[in-house]
Amino acid sequence: MPGWQKFYHDINDKNFEIISIAQDTGGAKDAAPWINAAKPEYTALIDDKHLVTQLYNMVNVPTAVWINEKGMIVRPNEVAYVDNRYKAMHLIDAGPYLDAIRDWVANGDRSAFVMSEQEVKERLKPPSPERATADAEFALAEYLYKNGKGADAIAHFKEAQRLDPDNWNYKRQAWALSDAEKDYGTSFMKEVQKLNGRPYYEPRKLREPKKQ
Amino acid sequence: MLKYCICVSTVCLVAAVVSRAADQRRCTVIYDGVATEVGAPSEGSNDLWVTMNDLKNATRFVVKPQGVCRDELCFPLPKSRKAEFISKKGAVTWFNLSAFATLVKQPTVHDEKNGVWYFGKREDERGTYLASLKAPNFTLPDVNGKMHSLSDYRGKKVLLVTWASW
Repeated sequence: MPGWQKFYHDINDKNFEIISIAQDTGGAKDAAPWINAAKPEYTALIDDKHLVTQLYNMVNVPTAVWINEKGMIVRPNEVAYVDNRYKAMHLIDAGPYLDAIRDWVANGDRSAFVMSEQEVKERLKPPSPERATADAEFALAEYLYKNGKGADAIAHFKEAQRLDPDNWNYKRQAWALSDAEKDYGTSFMKEVQKLNGRPYYEPRKLREPKKQ
Repeated sequence: MLKYCICVSTVCLVAAVVSRAADQRRCTVIYDGVATEVGAPSEGSNDLWVTMNDLKNATRFVVKPQGVCRDELCFPLPKSRKAEFISKKGAVTWFNLSAFATLVKQPTVHDEKNGVWYFGKREDERGTYLASLKAPNFTLPDVNGKMHSLSDYRGKKVLLVTWASW
């Protein structure tokens, strides 16, 4: 978050807003310390029901979407790091992405990084039929957890993970609310190792190759 | 035969007595993200039957001659299958909310032990932005509890970016 704050402050364009959204079942208890430390001038919201994850069919963090002045998506879900702190793990250089945002802020819809409707549609994947049920299982699990039934929530978190196996938000959030080794027989690092070289994030493609 | 569980409404309590409720339990329906206590019967099946009052309280849907309706929205019930959805027992008319969810392709999950039913998004509500490309709106609080909607920022470019503390 301090990285986004500096980026936003430096851009200083009244027609550009960052809306950062914490995907945290624990809500302000878990997210507020980070937000308070970063003192963001941009809009920092807290989503304790993972609503944005569901609405935009997201599967991991950080994920960003570009939305233009008319409220239309001009770049759909993609990995969005603001610095290279974790580059050793995911090999994604933040620099070109930040340059692309600056280009968009400066040039609007004329920016080469703004996609046509067709390009956006080609990138947007329709959610699997199982995703809607996974969302419901996750939401039920969250409800049980928040109502003091954490032990009963585990079966539903597991079902959400089974139905939407590539959804890291649903895995990592559930593990974070539990003793992951004891309740899920795994851990984030173990699961990353299982990827065995496959990328954790869908590889970022800043520009589509020009069609012949 | 139906055995009805305890619920808050007088009508439902009467029904519970009439039908010699043995498996009484409270039930929670979460619909559109809102939790409502209902007096649903337990009949040993996986269905969730609610009274017409509870249907309205929990979902804002009401049963009309033309179908099951909320505001402008109406889902007709297949005539030949009406008994699957509506059941009159004594003075109380029950509605099969889980069967209705299946009819409108709404994912339904429940926790048997805690009597909690969660109704997800109907098929017609899911992924509508995939065709329109209009960014789905949401309203969420900041650290001070002040609510913000994406639509408040119309007229600006918005970089929507998610993160998490975990």
